[in-house]
Order: sequence, then C-alpha cells, then structure tokens
Amino acid sequence: MDKLAKQLRADAECIDVAVSDELEQRILASLHGVSPRAETSLDTPARLGQRSARFWWTSSLTGIAAAALIIVIINSQSQQPGIVVPGDMPTMSHVALVDNMPVIDWKTETAMLTSPLREELEKLQSDIKKAEKKVKQDIGL
Amino acid sequence: MTEELQLIDAAKAGSAKAFADLVLRYQDRLLRFLLTRCASYADAEDALQDTLINAYRYLHSYDPRWRFSTWLYRIAIRNAQKIRSQNVIELDDLSDAESDPLQQCIAASETENLWLCARRLLNDDVFAAMWLRYTEDMSVNDISKALDRSVSWTKVNLLRARRALDADMNSNKQENEAYG
Repeated sequence: MDKLAKQLRADAECIDVAVSDELEQRILASLHGVSPRAETSLDTPARLGQRSARFWWTSSLTGIAAAALIIVIINSQSQQPGIVVPGDMPTMSHVALVDNMPVIDWKTETAMLTSPLREELEKLQSDIKKAEKKVKQDIGL
Repeated sequence: MTEELQLIDAAKAGSAKAFADLVLRYQDRLLRFLLTRCASYADAEDALQDTLINAYRYLHSYDPRWRFSTWLYRIAIRNAQKIRSQNVIELDDLSDAESDPLQQCIAASETENLWLCARRLLNDDVFAAMWLRYTEDMSVNDISKALDRSVSWTKVNLLRARRALDADMNSNKQENEAYG
C-alpha cells in the first residue's frame, strides 16, 4: 500500500462517527414496520430484459399480423365484380394524344420574323442602284 | 455458503432480525460515508435509515454476483442525492466548521484531513470513487457498479484524483517546511 492510500485510510478512521443507540432503535423499528416487496413486483435487469424481449416479440407479431390482414383485404376486394382495378382502366393511345395536339404553322412564324429584314435589304439594294445611276451620269457613261 | 449469504437468504425469507444482523456490520461505515455527502448529521442519519429500509424492501432484487457492500453503497448514494436535492444545499457552501458535519466529526490536528481536502478538490462522484477504493477496498469494477459509471471512467478519475491529492499534499508539505 502506498503512502497516499495509507494516509487516506488513516484519515477515514479519524472521522469519529458511530450510529447512536437511538438511531439504531429507530432503524430497527422502521425495519419491523416494513415488509420486503413480493418477488413478482421486482424490476431486476434480467427481468427487464425478459420483458423487453417479450415486448419486441409481441410488437413484431402484431405488425406481421396487421400486414397479412391488409394484404388479404386488398386481395379479396380485387376479386369482387364491379370494382375497377387499375389494370382494367381504359388508356389513351400515344397516337391519339399526338393527333389532338394543336399544330403550329412554323412557316408563317418564320415569314413574320424575317419580313422586316427583307424589306430593309430591298431598300438598301434600291439605294445602291440609285447610287450607281448617279455615278454613271456624272462620269458621262 | 458464507455467513453473509446465509443472513441475506434469511432476510429474503422475511426475517427482519437477520437483516438487522447483516446491516449491523455496515451501518457505521455507511454513516461515515453519508456524512461526507450530506449537509448535516441529521440528513446523514435520515439517509442511512432510508438506505437500510430500501435495502430491506428490495432485497429480493439483490444479485449475489455483486458484493453486498457494493449494492448497499449504491442505494446509499442514491438516497444521499435524493436528500440533497430536497434540501438544495451544495456541499461547497459548507465552508465553515460549524455547519459542516464532516468537519465536526474530525478531531483538530496539525495537518488537514485528506478527506476534507479531497472533498474540496474533487467532485461528488470522484470523491465517492476514492472513498470506496481506499476505505472499502472495492475493486474498480465494483466502484463503477456502485456509481453507475463505466469502468474506464472510474479508472481515469481515480488516477486524476490521486494526482490532485498528491499535488495538494506536496504543496502543503513544502509550505510547512518553508514556514519551519
């Protein structure tokens, strides 16, 4: 035992404490007034572990049973006549969808977009012709 | 089967006398320990009484793989905490000898009692770990069970507490030497 341990032990013994007779009587009296709890009500870790395992199994089985019940109900409903299931629903063909779509006149749109430029080009060409004429007159051709 | 286990079995069967014989060996040690954790002597006595009553009441849940003292100390620690939380008095506030029950029970001497020093330097759980280790000779495993802490926490804090106490002892020694 090292020095610190010896000192700690010695100092603990220096703490002068003893249970008084009065306190001892009080404790004994209260012990007689108390009865140990029945073993059925105990919450030992082992019992808590058993309980949690039981709880886990119960909840798992309940979940499986509920899932099975839902599957059975869905299956029984799908076999009843008069109920439309998704597979029997009429579907619209791809071609019909395309046919019903509004057609855009792409040529018109192009003409609308390019007409101002064309007009400008024509003006420029006439200006060039006028300029050529004037130059020829000046030269005397 | 040891005598202690025989007494435990008898107490489990409902013999209050067997239980009284059993706790007779621990009551002084428990009271001394509780005194370090309670705000007054009366509180320590109340905590002891509650501890022994609870131990008797829940004796059926005692696992013989544990040391009986470990189990008792665990209950004692909880009861002391409960009483302290009711009183809302911190042990740090007990700086004067008149109100501190532990100081009242220690005879005046030239050097400071190491347990007073330990209580000043360490927090409650570390102090309890040191107490159980050096006054009850409990193993680290038993201490960790009693305090509901991990084994590694117990090991590390015991080591730190030892260092802190060693350092304090050495500084006090140097001061005493300096003053002659």
